[in-house]
Amino acid sequence: MEKTMDETIVKTNNMWKQVLDQVQGWSRLNSPWAVHFNSGSCNGCDIEILATLTPRYDVERFGIKLKGSPRHADVLIATGPVTRQARERLLRVYEQMPAPKFVVAVGTCSISGGAFLGCYNCLGGIDQVIPVDVFIPGCPPRPEAVIDGIVQLLTALKSGTYKAPQKPLVVQENWL
Amino acid sequence: MNEELTLQQAETLLAPYNKETLHPEPNRLDVVVTSDDLHAAVTALHDAKWGYLCAITGLDNGPEANQMEALYHFAQDSAITTLRVRAPRSAEASVPTIADIIPPAVFFERELHEMLGFDVKGLSDSSRLFLPDDFPADLYPMRTDYKQDQPVPVVEVVPDLVPDEPTKIGNRFIVPIGPQHPALKEPGHFEFTVDGEIVTGGRMRLGYAHRGIEKAAESRNWFQNLYLFERVCGICSHIHATAYCQGVEKLAHVEVPARAQAIRELVSGLERIHSHLLWLGVAAHEAGFDTLFMYSWRDRETVMNILESLTGNRVHYSANVLGGVKFDVNLEQIKTIREGLDYLEGRVNHYLQVATTDAMLLQRTRGIGTINREEAELYGLVGPTARASGVVRDIRVEAPYGAYTTFPVTAVTDTAGDLEARMIVRLKEMLVTCASLRTILDNLPVGDLTTRMPRKVPAGETISRVEAPRGELFYFIKSDGTENPARVHLRTPSICNWTSVLEKAVGAQLADIPMMIAGMDPCFSCNDRLVTVVRPNESHTWSWRELRDYGIEHYKSSMNKGK
Repeated sequence: MEKTMDETIVKTNNMWKQVLDQVQGWSRLNSPWAVHFNSGSCNGCDIEILATLTPRYDVERFGIKLKGSPRHADVLIATGPVTRQARERLLRVYEQMPAPKFVVAVGTCSISGGAFLGCYNCLGGIDQVIPVDVFIPGCPPRPEAVIDGIVQLLTALKSGTYKAPQKPLVVQENWL
Repeated sequence: MNEELTLQQAETLLAPYNKETLHPEPNRLDVVVTSDDLHAAVTALHDAKWGYLCAITGLDNGPEANQMEALYHFAQDSAITTLRVRAPRSAEASVPTIADIIPPAVFFERELHEMLGFDVKGLSDSSRLFLPDDFPADLYPMRTDYKQDQPVPVVEVVPDLVPDEPTKIGNRFIVPIGPQHPALKEPGHFEFTVDGEIVTGGRMRLGYAHRGIEKAAESRNWFQNLYLFERVCGICSHIHATAYCQGVEKLAHVEVPARAQAIRELVSGLERIHSHLLWLGVAAHEAGFDTLFMYSWRDRETVMNILESLTGNRVHYSANVLGGVKFDVNLEQIKTIREGLDYLEGRVNHYLQVATTDAMLLQRTRGIGTINREEAELYGLVGPTARASGVVRDIRVEAPYGAYTTFPVTAVTDTAGDLEARMIVRLKEMLVTCASLRTILDNLPVGDLTTRMPRKVPAGETISRVEAPRGELFYFIKSDGTENPARVHLRTPSICNWTSVLEKAVGAQLADIPMMIAGMDPCFSCNDRLVTVVRPNESHTWSWRELRDYGIEHYKSSMNKGK
């Protein structure tokens, strides 16, 4: 008798979990919260990301909101070529985010190092440290491009074509 | 005339310590002094109130010459006196600290120590300025034999050293802010020690955005470097490129056409408006006045549109080329710019009214972070932060360059020195800029846009100073006659202004700190350097280890009490 009771509870729990997961997924797609991290960029991308929040571009109408804490965020919007000093912090911010988490790299230097390629203090891209889902090129990309990048991520998630990115290249101890 | 007289004064003042005098350029005087005489020489200049310390440049003349130089640049209007201290290229290279006379010199000295390995005797704080924590201590990136692609071993990081002697600590907490923080749009790390709501000490660590641009410049040619220096900062990219171009053109003896100079000033004026509106929004956001943030950023789009229509890009306009500018301004564009300026002028006047009458905003700005004139001069502040304290420090007025000789501007000053004054100065500066842009548009000179620029720039050294939206921007450029620069050293305005925040933070409410940081309009990516500790006698900044130990102790003792 007791066993069946347990089974019923598990079954009900699973149903609830399914429903909750669906609600969670639905709300995440409709209102993704983002956190912004500058890993040594020149500010150009950062002011354009900030511009997407302001009246002309107004991403809040899509439910996208910039949050202060990584613990509240679904999407990490990262800029910059990743300096040696910022590397640990970028990792830490990424690890603080709850799963599932997505990373959007904004700007040419966050993709390849851009103009700073070969600088002694730059790692040369966000994907050297953490897995990146969307790359938005441009120096800096226009706010429309930033919005488009995030929308592409959301579309991929909605349609189920999303593929998790590969793990980043293992950064060696002696990485420079 | 005046310049010559000023330089003569400096020469007389420095006569007792003078080992060798050089006149590299008409407005410059180089005096070679020995390391032992440096302190006395700086005192002589400082006591006579001859100019202010602009920057300290470290030069490595290479293993063959076996010589390094530390260049102390002082500027009085357009005249520049440089004290050159020569030292062998070894561990013995040392200079005495001058931070006891000029407090902000500590940042420059730490840079000198870190980048070239000068031993700065008596330096109060020799911790990392802008190199990463895990960078080896005996590697100096700005020495000529350091290759930027050489492998660098990672050293173990000791986060904070516990002082040898225990210090008495009251009921104080440490509030860490950053590097990722909602109040900071850029990475920087602050630790404020608070007693209740009152800040008793501040410490900061920058260098999260240090990329190594000065080193990278040495491996790129003169033309490629233009794109690199534009990317020092995304907010004031045009002014960085202007400073660089101006210096290189001076070295190459290239005369820039009048029309090109006017267009440079046009773009830098638009950039100033965009930067100040951006700042207004960020400052309003820090004050909790998000409506003003949204409004000012909405209006900023007007300038962004103009910049985009002129140059093709919203942020890195890339208007400059060596020897001129890339684009012309046509009549239709002039009309658009005029319309934009009319609209902005109306809006700025409105904001000026808001900034001076809105009771809520005034509570956050009036009488907060006040810096008086003496302090502003002592801390070596530049730009609007200095002008709000009544110090006329504006390169466009003091040492007009480029088109500012034909289209002069007036410096906007205020005497209050608080956050409100800084807001008013920036807003009024936008109005002045609008007016001067109209004059330029009315009298746009006719002529070529570029002059031919040689691939190789003759050997020499030059100093280029311009007024960025945040204050004086200083470029030191050295050429050895090849296609690449031998050394480019830049000193950005933000690094001069940090002292003001950290000194003024002590005794302020913690809630005012974000406003005070925003008040100086810091640009982390520009200065991407420095750490500093403000320790008034009665307080002590806790290291993480101390705090942790204290926490464990506290926990243990409360457990015992519970039993």
